[in-house]
Amino acid sequence: MGQETVLDPASSVKIDLPENSPLALISTNMGDSRASNRGGTIVLDLHMALTLRNSGARRVRGVTLLITAQEFAPGGKGSVARPCIDVPSGEQFTVPVDIRLVRPVQQAGGPLVRVQLDGVLFDDLSFFGPNRLNSQRAMTFWETEAQRDRAYFKHVLQARGDKGLGEEMLQSIARQAERPQLNVALSRNGRATGSIVPQGVAAGEHVAQFAFLKLPNAPVQPVEGWAEIAGNEARSPQIEIVNQSGKPVRYVEIGWMVKDKEGHEYLAGSVPGSNSAMLLPAGQHSRLLPDTTLKFSRTGKPVEIQGMTGFVSQVEFADGKVWVPSREDLKSSALLRIMAPSPEEQRLADIYSKRGLAALVAELNRY
Amino acid sequence: MKTHPSEADLALFAGGEAGRLSRFFVNRHVRECRECMDQVNRFELLRLELREFEPPPHDWNRLAAEMRANIHVGLEAGECVRLAAAEQRGWSPKLAVALASLMLLVGASFLLKSPAPNIAVEQKAGAVLESTGSGLELRHGSSSLTLLNHDGVAADQTVSAQGEIRARYVDGGAVTINNVYLE
Repeated sequence: MGQETVLDPASSVKIDLPENSPLALISTNMGDSRASNRGGTIVLDLHMALTLRNSGARRVRGVTLLITAQEFAPGGKGSVARPCIDVPSGEQFTVPVDIRLVRPVQQAGGPLVRVQLDGVLFDDLSFFGPNRLNSQRAMTFWETEAQRDRAYFKHVLQARGDKGLGEEMLQSIARQAERPQLNVALSRNGRATGSIVPQGVAAGEHVAQFAFLKLPNAPVQPVEGWAEIAGNEARSPQIEIVNQSGKPVRYVEIGWMVKDKEGHEYLAGSVPGSNSAMLLPAGQHSRLLPDTTLKFSRTGKPVEIQGMTGFVSQVEFADGKVWVPSREDLKSSALLRIMAPSPEEQRLADIYSKRGLAALVAELNRY
Repeated sequence: MKTHPSEADLALFAGGEAGRLSRFFVNRHVRECRECMDQVNRFELLRLELREFEPPPHDWNRLAAEMRANIHVGLEAGECVRLAAAEQRGWSPKLAVALASLMLLVGASFLLKSPAPNIAVEQKAGAVLESTGSGLELRHGSSSLTLLNHDGVAADQTVSAQGEIRARYVDGGAVTINNVYLE
């Protein structure tokens, strides 16, 4: 094997915040980060903790950092987000950034990884940042779900007291532990743009139709949909939707559940509105056509797909307001068991399990 | 004491040639062992470098001309033998040698013209984004970008068919959401 040269991890990363950013970088702790050059390969292991201060006037409810790796791959990028925070003006908070980058040594100098601010969400749901990753939408959905779940658990506390809240938390923790999860590999298809029906179905493949779980209050409803299935691969999901609300819609996401041969159901992922410029007027139909192949496995074994179910999981209207399923919608269907809990429910359950009921009640009462 | 897989097992794993069981155990090990993960990365890179090494170029036109000339010589030799054979009307060792040479030549031409390994197809293979136990990995050739779960905590992972995977975990009382995009 080649000779190993130890590099300075701090010089391998550049952190950029805009000049008018409401967040100021206070410190960067590199922890046990390592960078080395071994036989023509750069291996960078970054374990950073960025301490940021809210230097604006409003409370910060979420932040997203854009991570790009120099000349890695066309468009290859990531992000690290910290949702469900409540940072008053002048206070500090920390964002962990853990990255491993492996790439051949090339002549280009400069930092290998760049960390930039993509967006900050405030308590009034206003936003700051370049929003290259649509982080405004993602953080607005997380904050809306957080408000829904805090309201629900506060209601439980009022209606059923400490005991009832404790029971709800135990059920939530049990659901999180039991929720079956899949490993997924994603790649691009290269299917012709605008194709309406699946074409060129290869031997061993078949076209499977989605069944739909209709949530009564959803402003958008799925009409029909299908995907090409071959074993544990699902290719080119296509879903037709109709806007049943009175307002134009600019983003829709369909939750996607798959059933394996043994009848186990998993949340496989989501099929979002594929066009960033989409605007769906009231009463109109549209199709979601992501051009990807998803390969499912569980504990290293392929999961053969026997059936698929879709449901509307997120809607964003043209005015920026968003819709998410209510707790009643989730409870009255199997979704509460299959869907991942909201980030806020996960955080509240963590407070309950690590710090107890009193800490949870105090946390709920902060809002 | 932690038992590491052998170098041979890691090499087979890196090349995607390990058996199903071995793949499972090695995969499980390397997710938690940085040392072995680094070794697998080195093997993957070495494999790519070997793949990028192109064999010396053949001058196919020159080879074809040589073959045509050889066939021509063989046919002329066969013609001489045929004329002689017509006179002798018996078994001729010369004819047998000439026919054998001709068959060898034709066979060699098939072998020489068989397609070279299709390197370009593999190199053109696109990026793959995958959720693993330790994080979200975007691979492209010998390069990879992984957003790791902090301190190896378990994460909830969700996939968007638009081309992104999200991993969410709670650590130190706060939620972190990593997202990697396939574009």
